[in-house]
Amino acid sequence: MAKSEISNQIRKLRFENGEMTQQQLADKVGVTRQTILAIEADKYSPSLILAFRIAKAFGLPLGEVFQYEEERT
Amino acid sequence: MNKTQKGAVFCVASCLFAAGVIAYLFVSLFISKTWPTGFLAKYWSLIAYIAVVVASFTFLRKKQSPAEPDSDERDELIKKRAVLVSFVSVWILLIATTVILNFIVGETGSIPVYLFPFINLGIFITAMLVYSAAILVQYGWGGKDGKE
Repeated sequence: MAKSEISNQIRKLRFENGEMTQQQLADKVGVTRQTILAIEADKYSPSLILAFRIAKAFGLPLGEVFQYEEERT
Repeated sequence: MNKTQKGAVFCVASCLFAAGVIAYLFVSLFISKTWPTGFLAKYWSLIAYIAVVVASFTFLRKKQSPAEPDSDERDELIKKRAVLVSFVSVWILLIATTVILNFIVGETGSIPVYLFPFINLGIFITAMLVYSAAILVQYGWGGKDGKE
């Protein structure tokens, strides 16, 4: 059975954007810091709207922030 | 801690306190058959009220940042799951209570009416406790929220 996995570059992008803190990013996209932490750790896959908001906060297209990988198990 | 976590911690503390007070009152009124005396016994409700008000204006109100929302999509998902777990626990408790009472007093036995408020309160407090614990567990473990 194919298992879908969504990974992201948020941590890397935060540091590339003037060492933005999780709290600053959370405030920009309107969520709590715990949610950003969970997304970064791949423990939570955000909704499409939130994913777009995060990508917009970095000024990048969605595909450069989030990656979809299909993993066979 | 965000607002949802703080609320859950506060709820666990309040429920444990309430359970303690109810157990104490139950033992005092129906087993020891003496009305509780002393400062704490007389003014526990006032103390609890002050504690709730103070906590509401300090611990619960303080945000991680001024722009932080009260709850976001992940919080809502966590709360939704916690409600489901709590709902299941209420049914389990209701059925367990009925079966246990049936075993204790028998099919044609009876129980004092004053026990019903205690049973209802016990179930309500347990449901709240389960709800809050489910929230804290989901934050603690991180979970696989939204992956499936």
